[in-house]
Amino acid sequence: MNESRRTLSPRARWAVPAVAAVAVGLAFVAPPLFASADDAGLPTVSPEELAAQVASAEPSPLSGTVVYTARLGLPELPFGDVGGANPVALLGGSSTIRVWSDGEERSRVALLGATSEYSVVQDGPEAWTYSSTDDAVVHYSLDPADVARFDELKAQAEAGELAVQGDLPTPEEAGRQAVEMAKLTSTVTLDSQTEVAGRAAYQLVVTPRSDTTLVGRIVVAVDAETSTPLRVQVWSTSDTETPALEIGFTDVSFATPADSVLAFSAPAGASTREVVVPLPDMPAEAATATPDKELPEGVTVTGAGWDTIVQASGLDVAAVVAGDPSAAASLPGVDKTFGSQGAADLYSEFMPEEGSGSPMGDLDTSALYETLTTEVPEGRLLSSALLSVLVTDDGRVLVGAVPGATLQALAAR
Amino acid sequence: MSLVETAPPTVRPLRGSLLRLVRSELRLVLGRRRNLVLLLGLALVPLLLGTVLFLSQDTALDGQGPGFVGRVTGNGLFLVVASLFLCLPFLLPLTIGIASGDAVAGEAAAGTLRYLLTVPVARGRLLAVKAVGALTFAAAAVAAIAVVGIVAGAAFFGLRGITLLSGTTVSLGDGILRIAAVVVYVGLSMTGLVAVGLFFSTLTEVPVGAMAATVVTAIVCGVLDQLPQLATIAPALLTHHWLDFAEFLRLEPDWGVLGQGLALQAAWVAIFGALAWSRFTTADVSS
Repeated sequence: MNESRRTLSPRARWAVPAVAAVAVGLAFVAPPLFASADDAGLPTVSPEELAAQVASAEPSPLSGTVVYTARLGLPELPFGDVGGANPVALLGGSSTIRVWSDGEERSRVALLGATSEYSVVQDGPEAWTYSSTDDAVVHYSLDPADVARFDELKAQAEAGELAVQGDLPTPEEAGRQAVEMAKLTSTVTLDSQTEVAGRAAYQLVVTPRSDTTLVGRIVVAVDAETSTPLRVQVWSTSDTETPALEIGFTDVSFATPADSVLAFSAPAGASTREVVVPLPDMPAEAATATPDKELPEGVTVTGAGWDTIVQASGLDVAAVVAGDPSAAASLPGVDKTFGSQGAADLYSEFMPEEGSGSPMGDLDTSALYETLTTEVPEGRLLSSALLSVLVTDDGRVLVGAVPGATLQALAAR
Repeated sequence: MSLVETAPPTVRPLRGSLLRLVRSELRLVLGRRRNLVLLLGLALVPLLLGTVLFLSQDTALDGQGPGFVGRVTGNGLFLVVASLFLCLPFLLPLTIGIASGDAVAGEAAAGTLRYLLTVPVARGRLLAVKAVGALTFAAAAVAAIAVVGIVAGAAFFGLRGITLLSGTTVSLGDGILRIAAVVVYVGLSMTGLVAVGLFFSTLTEVPVGAMAATVVTAIVCGVLDQLPQLATIAPALLTHHWLDFAEFLRLEPDWGVLGQGLALQAAWVAIFGALAWSRFTTADVSS
């Protein structure tokens, strides 16, 4: 080899890096091109059949990597990578999430930061969140009486004797009904077959018939083999190039995850907070809840279908928001000193008010509120690519998948 | 620029001279006082960090700090990771840029390159020898941080099973393996930078220029990686996967991500190695 190189002309020698660059470029660019260049050649199905398959599919054990991308057009949030893995990051930009599930009642979801992780582990009636940034565990559990009731309900469900069982339609029926419901306000079609995370998938497209909503269309990619939804894209009417919301597997396997992955015990030295969550009186009620059930006090609904605007009155949002940081600081256990205001804000992010059930329930600090909303004559408006929220000065909150101007017009009426 | 002839009879001595050249290059790289000072400087990082954290561990600042710094007081193993994390953006590229940028340009500046070319070894192989020297220094730089880190960590805080980013605690043996994997990954992440440095080193006779260009490459890549507007080209940037060493501290390391990081380094090595080879084998050497 040495001999042959010796005879190369300088020009030929300079061709070597060019060839190397092209080869490297091909190696990195080509595989995705090949992968997406085919129609998977799956048997054709109708939207109803596809929906029925999804409804009847057994929840299968799986593990995989999910990439979530939000292009909601919200203002840049003040804390980016600095804060580490944090659910607030889901409001904008791209996040990588790892998912493990045994298909029954144990699962682990981990939101990845560059050098951090926010984990949510669920095991039946118990759940933990762990934030590696501040080494803090929150343990959500039911109180003993509720645990007994939970086990009872579970046993009933397993034996198939849950009271509501008879009222539930068969999966095929449910799938057909879902499509029928959707067809009232939208057109439901199947797009060309695609490949998601290396698996052949059907694409169900729901396009609103209304042209005043912000939602352009919703595309669900369903795995052809297991009928597990692999990707959901929500397109806004304002951007036809990229979906406003996209969550989908980039890598998935349907093997049962190892037991060690699904187990959780609080690491030594981590700060642990216990939260007891009340079990709703009739958990089965949620399954049968219909859209026309009674609305809570002060809530009115205007419009129909995709243009629905929900209006709640008698809420003092500004006070709730303003009260939060000080409330967080007065929480027991918050006696640490912080290096910066940013650290203090971050800490308060992870310190939800006592009893608030979800880890996302602590988003409403005033700083975040100020950043996300803009001043309008009626109050403060949050407008994103898919959803608008108007908080009026007289204590009403209007929410809808419609342009902000529509909300303002309604509020002014 | 006539190259040294290698007639068949001289093939055997050639192999001997290549080995001798490698040996002398390693002696040069690892024996040079400036390089030793650089290694010493890197080794001081975990020592200083450990001392500071040890002295402040009973104050309110205990358990705080960016990245892995907050975890060090609980477990000395994290001193290795925290030190690497702090050195990755600047100190490590700086020292490696100095060593690799100096590889060829340093010889040219000192006027010794043309004597080196009279050794009966082809220029391509001479460049390979220089690359071996620069890579050895890069490995030594990462190892210096790791070894001092683990020794200082054990002395200050003790070693125990590590709590992963996912909240799971693994045994000490598993923990040491994972930390070792982190160190190896960080070391391999430097190979692309060594190739870049070697290429710049063949371009100029001014070693400082090559060193600066190498360090600037790493820093510019790091800065561009932060810009959301450049997200499309970010995966091709030299530094993009550097922090992925954290994969080893997750419950189930994603080998795909780690493979991407290594493939990226391989790509930079292929391109800049080829560029360096083309330049070095076609250049007129006058000094």
